[in-house]
Amino acid sequence: MATPAIKTEQLSKRYATLDALTDLDLEVGQGEVVGFLGPNGAGKTTTIRLLLGLIRPTHGRAEIFGLDAQRQSVAAHARLAYVAGEANLWPSLTGTETLHLLGRVQGQVDDAYRDELIARFDLDTAKKVRAYSKGNRQKLQLIAALMTRPDLLVLDEPTAGLDPLMEQAFRVCINEAHQRGQTVFLSSHILSEVEALCDRVGILRNGVLVEMGTLAEMRHLSALTVEATFDGSVPDLSAVPGVTSVEVAGNVVRCQVHGGVEPLLKVLAVSGVHELLSREPSLEELFLAHYGAPDAEGHVVSGAR
Amino acid sequence: MLAEVTLGPRAVPRARFVVAGETARRAVRSGALWGCVFGLYVAAQALTYASSYKTPASRERLAGLFGTNAGISALNGPAHEIQTVAGFTAWKCLMVLSVMGAVFGLLTATRLVRAEEDAGRWELLLAGRTTRRGACAQALGGLAAGLGAFFVVLAAFVVLVGRSHDVGIGAGGALFFALCVTASPALFLCVGVLTSQLFGTRRRASAYAAGILGVGYALRMVADSGTGLEWLRWATPLGWVEELQPLTHPRPWVLVPVAALCVALGGAAIALAGRRDLGSGVLAERSHRRPRTTLLSGQVGLSVRLSLPVLSGWVLGLCAYALLLGLVAKSGGQALTASAAMAKAIARLGIPGAGAQTYLGVVFLMTAVLLALVGAGQVSAMRSEEADGHLDNLVVRRVARPAWLAGRLLVAVVALAALGVGVGLFAWAGAASQHAGVPFSGLLQAGANIVPPALCLLGLGTLVFGAWPRAATPAAYGLVAWSLLVELIGGSLGLNHFVLDTSIFHQMTAAPAVAPDWTSALAMVLLGLVAALAGGAAFARRDLQGE
Ligand SMILES: Nc1ncnc2c1ncn2[C@@H]1O[C@H](COP(=O)(O)OP(=O)(O)O)[C@@H](O)[C@H]1O
Ligand SMILES: [Mg+2]
Repeated sequence: MATPAIKTEQLSKRYATLDALTDLDLEVGQGEVVGFLGPNGAGKTTTIRLLLGLIRPTHGRAEIFGLDAQRQSVAAHARLAYVAGEANLWPSLTGTETLHLLGRVQGQVDDAYRDELIARFDLDTAKKVRAYSKGNRQKLQLIAALMTRPDLLVLDEPTAGLDPLMEQAFRVCINEAHQRGQTVFLSSHILSEVEALCDRVGILRNGVLVEMGTLAEMRHLSALTVEATFDGSVPDLSAVPGVTSVEVAGNVVRCQVHGGVEPLLKVLAVSGVHELLSREPSLEELFLAHYGAPDAEGHVVSGAR
Repeated sequence: MLAEVTLGPRAVPRARFVVAGETARRAVRSGALWGCVFGLYVAAQALTYASSYKTPASRERLAGLFGTNAGISALNGPAHEIQTVAGFTAWKCLMVLSVMGAVFGLLTATRLVRAEEDAGRWELLLAGRTTRRGACAQALGGLAAGLGAFFVVLAAFVVLVGRSHDVGIGAGGALFFALCVTASPALFLCVGVLTSQLFGTRRRASAYAAGILGVGYALRMVADSGTGLEWLRWATPLGWVEELQPLTHPRPWVLVPVAALCVALGGAAIALAGRRDLGSGVLAERSHRRPRTTLLSGQVGLSVRLSLPVLSGWVLGLCAYALLLGLVAKSGGQALTASAAMAKAIARLGIPGAGAQTYLGVVFLMTAVLLALVGAGQVSAMRSEEADGHLDNLVVRRVARPAWLAGRLLVAVVALAALGVGVGLFAWAGAASQHAGVPFSGLLQAGANIVPPALCLLGLGTLVFGAWPRAATPAAYGLVAWSLLVELIGGSLGLNHFVLDTSIFHQMTAAPAVAPDWTSALAMVLLGLVAALAGGAAFARRDLQGE
């Protein structure tokens, strides 16, 4: 089997009294696009800074393409590119100068692709970084990362500050990278982004990886919402295995189904169902299942943006 | 029931003076600290004089020498009644403290006004109900509070030492003297606030304010060097400070132009604040420019590029200062060697009296202090690169931390060495133009002689940077300040050698008056090297830390 692009073993980071990350075991295969979801303060940035060797783990270890993230960081960095959540570039350099420097320091640039990216992101590179908006600084970082065509892209909430049009351009770039076989590790708290881009998703909460799987696998963890309208009387569904939160309104029943739907279908089949609606949970709902329940009135409290 | 939950924004007492409060809090702290240091300096000077020159005859002799000496008055300003403790104290302290006070003023202003705005902290406050003009006025108010603290602490010291029987300075005179010492910091606070409005970065704001100070100092130096250009004194605020003549012939009316200039500068700053965007200056830098990539092919080139503006400012300032020292060395030396008491005092420092060389040996301590400040600035720049997150961009690529640090230190070491040699060269040029008879090689060595303390400081600063990054900047500047304090007052307080050895300048000989002690110099450099290596090892093993 190929060496994983990212592999961590019990990776942990403690700040004074706060466990920012606890025993993270993570494996990202080469060519995968993996999302890393969690609310603010969950430990996403901490994880990424550990992977890059910017901070030292309290215990545990991380490897990038089999190279130790702390001791062989320079060799590991030769194969990756990183986009920070906040673009802290040198204010006195222009965009062109910044890209020149960062390309030289990385020792690897695809010039044609760089120019294409500049056009695609519509960036004025003759300007000083000081005069850039937050979004433009973010674009500059993205271009600097993508132009080196790294084997691994490590992105920490990369679209913060980008407008929807540029977010679209970003997604195109990530999909291209995916098609070229590059590995992408993307942290985000924007669910739609991860949903649109990623093969696999990890969910981090208070420094603990609570879930890791493909979107399909994850959906099984959450309930399917089923709404059935009956011709006649409404059967009692609360005893059906896997069915919970049954609500009856006239001849309409709404319930949640966990696991297989067969037991419910069997009951419904003999009860004269007139109309049946079912819906897969969105990532939003998955997320909420971990971070917050709907409030008493059934309104979903949005965790994202 | 639900109505209780859906409350609107709760009315809270409106914070009207957040900017003033924040600025005042920090300005008062540093004002009180500087007031304390200045107060100690004044006290040490007054007490030393009172105890070293006990008889009227010895005092008259001193006055006879210094009262008319151009080389000395170019440095310290004209001497008035230095046969009295009060007159000597005023003469010895006023100019030195005015220059140091100006530096304190302008750095405090640009730090609390420009740097705060750069960091985006004002954005939050101004999103509230404060206008930009209001914020600028508030900042001035806060800085004034800091200045008040400075004055109160300094005045307390001067009044106290004045009550000593040997010194005998009245409370009124002491208060007026403290006020005169406060004049220059006040003016340069206002200058700093004004340049903070004009320029979009703290570095530029400080550099231009320092440039104004440099020009003001040079004008005063010319006016006081006995070339018949005394009227030039009225063209520079530092000259006004001299014209106040505290403790001898106090002329309070000279405070009128000082106050008027403060008001004008402050008013101009407030007016300009309304005419610019937050986070930029009135004189906006051009935002577009052709790329200049010559130096940008690696991290060392980048370090050079980033430090170039600051270092060239230092080259300009230090070389000009050395040139001036050289120009006045001959006449300064004549005074020193002619005074028996002074010669004795200097001999106690281990310096044989020999004209211009002796004079340069004494005043080169100041250039050593300035060079050490350059070193501290380099430590601070290293830390800022990390704290601002700029370093992340390099070390997430193919730059190892030790390689970055080594490159950064290399730039600093080369700069310090070049500055040292430059100081020697320019001092020689100045002295040679006056036929002072100072040998070229001697001054070149004297220039090299001020480098080791700065290198030692750089190494110690790197150690703190590696082990305890957030303390690196205060530790580096603090060590320079401490060392200067030990040098200035340590001798007169008779401190034991353990305390004296904590000064990075203590092992440095007073070249060119005496031959440099290269063994001690090497030891200083090695100490710095070991500290830097230890710092580098710690740096490679720790978390990178933001602010
Ligand atoms: N240098 C630090 N010192 C102390 N606590 C920190 C530091 N960096 C991060 N933390 C804390 O660690 C937790 C995780 O932070 P972070 O990884 O930045 O979260 P995320 O990126 O998911 O928003 C937060 O509670 C944060 O306050
Ligand atoms: Mg984060």
